[in-house]
Amino acid sequence: MMSRNFTPEQDLIDKFLLGDAIAFEELSRRYSYPLYSYCITKLNSREDARRIVRTIFISLWEKRDTMPLDFSLSIYLYSEVRRSVVQCLNSKLNTNSDIPAIEEEILPSFSAARLQKARLPVKYSVQIKSVGLSFEPGKGKYEELRWSKYSPVIKLKELKHTLQDMLHLS
Amino acid sequence: MTTDILKKKTARYLRGQSVPAERKQIQNWLSCTGDRKMSVSTEERTIIENLIVAEVKAYIDYTKLEPEPAPWWKKITAFF
Repeated sequence: MMSRNFTPEQDLIDKFLLGDAIAFEELSRRYSYPLYSYCITKLNSREDARRIVRTIFISLWEKRDTMPLDFSLSIYLYSEVRRSVVQCLNSKLNTNSDIPAIEEEILPSFSAARLQKARLPVKYSVQIKSVGLSFEPGKGKYEELRWSKYSPVIKLKELKHTLQDMLHLS
Repeated sequence: MTTDILKKKTARYLRGQSVPAERKQIQNWLSCTGDRKMSVSTEERTIIENLIVAEVKAYIDYTKLEPEPAPWWKKITAFF
């Protein structure tokens, strides 16, 4: 089994689209746990989570020849996992399996109060990555940091000052 | 909400026939991830990753698929 490496994701995607199984294995290793974790938070079932993630990667491998060249893996996985979760929930309801668990754990999460959280703005935690952190002045202390992959400019000095301010405040 | 209503809502959502309010409700539910956070150790995480990757590998017959190059017309179709 291939160990984790630091090959850029786009290189792996390009190789995968050409049918490279090793690159595909590395991609599935990188994304398997986040997808698994998401499925568990939604369905609360390890078996279903594993089955969903496995199916997503298998279908991705089978579709590799028909994927467009500008294919975005993260968008594909994001939409597939969401669709698969709803599909799994629906098939459970159709077959009347795990109904008590669904009533106890999943139904309450459809309440208006719980769904209200999805409408709130996302609070980003401060992450240091090689690219993508940009600084937007003119707003409150904690709202100044914005995660934007589109910004090519990394204003390191301003970022450093903001981080220092935040650390002093906390 | 009851399980019967949820069953109908999810079925309509999957068929693409749900009304905007239902679609929004399901999409909001899918977007809410803060309720249950999994806390697992690095070792457990590695075990889970290995398990899933091994299952995917077991299903995909690499030895059968790898030597076979994609036909030229598939590559051209993918380009468009």
